[in-house]
Amino acid sequence: MNRIAGRAAITVLLTLLLIAGFSFFVAEYVTKANDWVLFTGSPHIYNGTNIGTGTVIDREGVMLLDMEGERTYGESAAVRKSTLHWLGDRYGYISAPALSHYSAQLAGYDIVNGVYSYGQNTGVAKLSISAQVQTTALEALDGRKGTVAVYNYETGEILCAVTSPTYDPDNVPDIENDQSGAYDGVYVNRFTQSVFIPGSIFKIVTLAAALETVDDIQQQSFYCDGVYTIGADKITCEAAHGNQDLQQAFRNSCNTAFAQVALQVGAEKMEKYVEQFGVTKSVSFDGITTAEGNYEAVDAADANIAWSGIGQYNDQINPCAFLTFLGAIAKEGKGVEPHIVSQIFVGLSETYEADTVSGKRIMSAATAETVAEFMRSNVEYKYGDDNFPGLTVCAKTGTGEVGGDNKPNAMLAGFVTDPEYPLAFVVFVENGGYGASVCLPIASRVLEACKNVI
Amino acid sequence: MPEIFDSLQGLQGAYLNVLIAVMRFLAPAIAALLLFRCFRPLLSFRREPEIWAWLCLSDGTKLPITHWENVIGRHKKSDIVIDFPTVSRSHGVLTRYDDGSWTITDTDSSGGIMVNGKKVRIWALQPEDVISIGGIEMTLQPISRRQEQKLAQLRTKASTVGTGICNVLLLTIFQILTCLIFMMCAPQEAMKSVFLGFCGIAAMQWLLLLFYICIRRTSFEVETIAFFMCTMGMAVIATVTPTEAMKQLIAIAMGLFTFLLIGWSLRNLERAKKMRYLAAVAGIGFLVITLLFGQEIYGAKNWLIIGPLSLQPSELSKVCFVFIGASTMDRLMKKRNLISFIVYSVMVCGCLALMNDFGTALIFFCAFLVIAYLRSGSVGTLGLAVTALGFAGVVALKIAPHALRRFASWRHIWEDPLGAGYQQTRTLMCMASGGLFGLGAGQGYMKNVFAADSDMVVGTITEEWGLVMLVLLIFCVVALAFFTVRSAAVGRSSFYTIGSCTAASIMLVQVILNALGTVDVLPLTGVTFPFISNGGSSMICSWGLLAFIKAADTRQNASFAVRLTKKGGAVADE
Repeated sequence: MNRIAGRAAITVLLTLLLIAGFSFFVAEYVTKANDWVLFTGSPHIYNGTNIGTGTVIDREGVMLLDMEGERTYGESAAVRKSTLHWLGDRYGYISAPALSHYSAQLAGYDIVNGVYSYGQNTGVAKLSISAQVQTTALEALDGRKGTVAVYNYETGEILCAVTSPTYDPDNVPDIENDQSGAYDGVYVNRFTQSVFIPGSIFKIVTLAAALETVDDIQQQSFYCDGVYTIGADKITCEAAHGNQDLQQAFRNSCNTAFAQVALQVGAEKMEKYVEQFGVTKSVSFDGITTAEGNYEAVDAADANIAWSGIGQYNDQINPCAFLTFLGAIAKEGKGVEPHIVSQIFVGLSETYEADTVSGKRIMSAATAETVAEFMRSNVEYKYGDDNFPGLTVCAKTGTGEVGGDNKPNAMLAGFVTDPEYPLAFVVFVENGGYGASVCLPIASRVLEACKNVI
Repeated sequence: MPEIFDSLQGLQGAYLNVLIAVMRFLAPAIAALLLFRCFRPLLSFRREPEIWAWLCLSDGTKLPITHWENVIGRHKKSDIVIDFPTVSRSHGVLTRYDDGSWTITDTDSSGGIMVNGKKVRIWALQPEDVISIGGIEMTLQPISRRQEQKLAQLRTKASTVGTGICNVLLLTIFQILTCLIFMMCAPQEAMKSVFLGFCGIAAMQWLLLLFYICIRRTSFEVETIAFFMCTMGMAVIATVTPTEAMKQLIAIAMGLFTFLLIGWSLRNLERAKKMRYLAAVAGIGFLVITLLFGQEIYGAKNWLIIGPLSLQPSELSKVCFVFIGASTMDRLMKKRNLISFIVYSVMVCGCLALMNDFGTALIFFCAFLVIAYLRSGSVGTLGLAVTALGFAGVVALKIAPHALRRFASWRHIWEDPLGAGYQQTRTLMCMASGGLFGLGAGQGYMKNVFAADSDMVVGTITEEWGLVMLVLLIFCVVALAFFTVRSAAVGRSSFYTIGSCTAASIMLVQVILNALGTVDVLPLTGVTFPFISNGGSSMICSWGLLAFIKAADTRQNASFAVRLTKKGGAVADE
């Protein structure tokens, strides 16, 4: 019997094998459960390829989307259309990276409680956008392609970011067979995923670079007779502006003057400051990484350097990145990063709250102040303050030539300096025509709407 | 009755959430307390050697005899060591019987055994008989009846009746709370069957306890643990396949009957030895019948369908196999015995290979290894066996692409989450979603995953009850195994020790293959988790195995599988 009793150790061996194997699993569980629960296809969180748990509301609590089951979108078609690109569609054509990014918080996941929440509450994501402003902006775009965005440069909250064209997810049009071109690029969120030729709004960048690098730039006088000739190339202006100082040239959006300014700054410094201002870099927030812009001047001919300084040549910018740049100017050279997801609740517990993330200083406070002052004079003396009743707005319009027979892109970039309305904004209208006349009414309506929700 | 169900469903909104929130923590707490109370006596009883007789040598030396089966020999691990050149390494076996009589058996020794100057192979010893082993003369002096009674008093008493009642009460509270949750969230048409399922288990555990009290047995720990595991199995069925709750309840009843039947046959060693032959015929018979009349389901021909019943006879063969593997020491020491066992095992494996039932074959093979080692103690034999299996396995994989696919996706399930890894990735996602305390009974997604109540049962448990509960359930099997090993040291007959160690090992192997297979630590083999997985044959098998573990419990008044005498005496027949 002694021998048999000793041999019973083989059972102990099996026991140890079980304990070792299970410990291995527990170790895997501790380190990987987070990935498992968030893996696409995880039944508690996903519904097909889109996140399938929780609801999304706007900054005022308007229901935008219930992600459970077949996905229920907001009540009105206007809200559904204007918010679609942040919420994603039912079939995976439009993804919603900002929501997927917070799937753990939406599901209320943690390693101790799993996705349990009392009474099976699902998460509620509160976005910083306002459904009301979104619909106003989409209405103002009036079917034209483009994007309108407003963000609070003190807190980083995006109040409005619409993209057009869009469609009603509850009444999907026949996009595939559409010949009119009305739905070209309909799945793209133009605010984050597209780049535009900036045109004159790029003069803000050139101005700031000049203020940082050329000491006497404000003392110089620039003469414009309508055409500026560099070698064989001609840079033309809308009119002969005559003698003007820098501020007047900026207000006139004088190509001749800014061609000279860009050449004075020089290709290398232009590139350096474009980089430093973050104008062409992607912005990352809430799991979104925006499209990268483009700027090249080094190794280019002088004429091209001049063109690049006035937002043509190979210049490309992303609206979101440019909006962030504007925010930094408004906030004395050091802005905050934008975000769209403000808060997430599961039941009574808050699982996420957005922080205001400060960016790096991109220019001196003095430069930022001067740029702001110049932009302010544009509105004061050129565009007219009556466009923005009750607001002190600094802005710059732009008309980006796109070539061919197409109408130019119309653009407007600016910000409000009133402390109670710390808003920066961009308006991009593809093939809209002349910047000021197209974009000013849009910005006017959208900022007015923002006043009510901030 | 239907009115009560209706009103319970009405309470859903108001109380279900509260109940779930409470039960998430209360359930593992009750379970942990219950298991602690049950396992503490099993893992801490004293194991001092009991002296049953003295062997008096002619020079006046008295050797204590501490077991019922004792190997006499020169080998230093013999129970009675006589280090003399004329004595064989294992010379003979001295066996004590239920009635207190002793027998000596020659185990193919070179010198033989003489009793009263006559060469014997087997001899029932009378007092005054002079035994001669390798020229050394000795007499056997059994302890007196009075000493035996004293020994019985000294032996660790099994728990009191009160402890048993407390434990069962605790388990009943757990069952009531669990049942209450399901009454609030189970589909209307299945409510009655789920309700009866839980009540049925509770009724059975109380009836069994009552029966034990009547026959003066006080140890109910092993049974309580089994009933607890059955309750968890019922909780899985209530959420995954609620309409099958009654079927499972019947299976538990049949399992309980099997438990009592095997326990009864193990009570008397002579009867048990006779039962072996019956078991041998039944074991192979089940497999042959399946081969002849069985149906192929999910790639393995291991189902026998008779009218509304579907059986997996290979599960029942497992219990028979334990019977066949167990053997008393006097037979164990003879080579012929091992050879016939190997021949039998080869026949069983042949049947399983033809049935294409990979998981069961693996369990049988592990059981074979355990039995072979317990019997022979030879690591070399095991090495040969494992090598042989390796070759056979390679050949089998070549032939069966179905099995090969499973191996191909092992540790690669996340690379094909919609294909080969579908079942396991969903299971892991659900397990992770459950966290440590689960989402609450009936609240999971696992019910939509194939085999959520059988092969993938650990996923359902973890999702709805939490990882802590899974750890507790695995602890149940681990602790039962440790108890078996501890008991082995004071085992009376190698028949019980081999039986219980093999039974515990089979349970362990099943848990290893089931739990670790589900979570992709091992390849998925489709084996059931004892007591928990949905399936009648598996349930009957689990209870059958438990009977062997119970029979190894030698504590006083512990096991109905160990005979009791009047006045607390341990042995003498009434």
